[in-house]
Amino acid sequence: MKQNSDSQVNGENSRPPTVIRPSFSHLLSRMKRLLLSSYAKFVARKAAFYLVVIFFSVTLVFVVIESMPGDPVAVMIASGNPPPGADLDALADIMREYFGLDKPIQERFVIYLMNFFSGNLGQSYHFYPVFASTIILYYLPYTLSLAIPVLFVSFVVGNWIGARAAYLKGRLNETSYFALVFCNQLPPFWLGLVIIFLYVVLFRSIPPIGAATQGVIPSLSVSYFYDLLAHWILPFLTLLVVYVGAWATGMRSMVTHEKDSGYVRYGEQLGFKKGKLMSYTQRNAILPQFTGLNMVFSGIIGQTLVIEIVFGWPGLGLLLYNAVYNYDYPLIFGCFLVIIIIIVVGNFLIDILYGFIDPRIRTGHG
Amino acid sequence: MFGLVVLIVFILLGTVGPLLVGDPYYMDLSLMGRPPSLGHILGTTGFGEDVFAQLCNAVGNSLLVGLVAGGLGTLIAVFVGAVGPYRGGLADRVSNLVTNLALVLPLIPLFIIIAAAVRGLNLVLIGVILAVTSWPWAARSIRSQVLTLKEREFVNLARMSGEGNVRIVLTEILPNMLAYIMMVFVILTGTAILAESALSMIGVSTTRTITLGYMLYWAQHETIVPFWWNIWWWFIPPGIVLTVVLTAFFVIHAGLDEVFNPKLRRI
Repeated sequence: MKQNSDSQVNGENSRPPTVIRPSFSHLLSRMKRLLLSSYAKFVARKAAFYLVVIFFSVTLVFVVIESMPGDPVAVMIASGNPPPGADLDALADIMREYFGLDKPIQERFVIYLMNFFSGNLGQSYHFYPVFASTIILYYLPYTLSLAIPVLFVSFVVGNWIGARAAYLKGRLNETSYFALVFCNQLPPFWLGLVIIFLYVVLFRSIPPIGAATQGVIPSLSVSYFYDLLAHWILPFLTLLVVYVGAWATGMRSMVTHEKDSGYVRYGEQLGFKKGKLMSYTQRNAILPQFTGLNMVFSGIIGQTLVIEIVFGWPGLGLLLYNAVYNYDYPLIFGCFLVIIIIIVVGNFLIDILYGFIDPRIRTGHG
Repeated sequence: MFGLVVLIVFILLGTVGPLLVGDPYYMDLSLMGRPPSLGHILGTTGFGEDVFAQLCNAVGNSLLVGLVAGGLGTLIAVFVGAVGPYRGGLADRVSNLVTNLALVLPLIPLFIIIAAAVRGLNLVLIGVILAVTSWPWAARSIRSQVLTLKEREFVNLARMSGEGNVRIVLTEILPNMLAYIMMVFVILTGTAILAESALSMIGVSTTRTITLGYMLYWAQHETIVPFWWNIWWWFIPPGIVLTVVLTAFFVIHAGLDEVFNPKLRRI
């Protein structure tokens, strides 16, 4: 852009390049470097913080395991149907040694940490020889395929609706406000039930529960894809309604506030078109919405877990739920850690994005 | 105003209602899954219980959980939010770090795990657990409020006249942000009610006391009819009540927001 205008100037006046130019570009490159270094510092600070979060939550899980009532070895022996006359104490000692439970607590903590950071979450009790990480990796894509589209689609659609709602007049404005608040306050898990109910009433057939119709074999065919989509759409819509309400309520109040500000009035006096002014207010109003992304992302993950249970969608929520019912501790804690990692990574990416959009945040005043 | 009226109606329903309607656990096995009629306003459940009687008890219990969680959560949030700016130094850094850490932890999975580890859950205990897990964002916003109030002149005056830190916080700062603390309390209560319903609906909360989520749980898990959606009068009312209560909380919060600070538009 700058070069373009410079060449124009040069062409018109047909003079050699001015003396000021090298010093300006020098300044520009220096600013760029400064900006980049502050950005890198910002990213590094955030990364360090989230590493602390992961460490903290892993420790928390260890503490919860340790403080849980009951002796896991006793539970395993009791459920294992030992032969009559067996020396149970000796058996317990052997099992303690095998699972490393005879070591002191700090040593076990170090082993646990090393296992965790090398991706070993232990073997599931319920699906015994299978590793918990294998099971979780199978369920993980389902959760992400639900949560991530909801986040982006609700952000775009909700902000669009909210910006329009702020320009409605009189009674319509109030009605739309109440409708949006109502959408926002709908409990997603109940909305899921209602949507299933409406599906039954409207189509008079069994609603698509689970991830595939019985008898459909997962493959890379078009029919399987359609089947999956049909099962995916209901939970997706449930979450979408609620989070569109959330974004639209916030955006509406931001735009309502913004459209009274000085620059909009000034623009009106100058006779700007309404659409132009609307785009200005929206661009100013959307920035605070990005700060909400962090918390909404955590919320969406939490609600997705519950919605999965309602719709039988085989994501981490359903896995966690079943694991709790089976007292499958490695799987429970594996799920919890993976969920935390999803949230941490998501928050990290959103923070980086926000630092990219709003340079003020990088300087540390944010 | 609308919000307050609705809330009072539901509080009355939750406190007086259970005295008027009969035993919510009474199963009349000759009346299993009957649609709404004159004898049973909202019909009966798949076990022959009266839905309206259950609903009255559920509203009261859900509000109780919300009250416990909201009150305790607000206390924790005020403490953590006020201690940082006033002690300064290490205490500030630690409280800030703890707040940011706890802000990232996901509430629902955490609660599922705690429910798996703790035996003998009851309503108050659930309220306490919800309070312990839901305060972080409130602490953060209270902290920023305290930071702005701290620079005001009347606080400086109090400091110059030799009042101690604790006294300044208690007599100068907290009364000035009472409306804000009320707002935090309202929001925490609403989220606690929602969270409790979500958890008892998936069956990890208490399974003996009737709450709104408990009704939804059994409406989905009964086995009298082949499909749970056939008894629609069982699961529709608790959800509507829940939505209306939450909307009332939100409207009250918005009203307080306008009264307290017209410029502060969003939490």
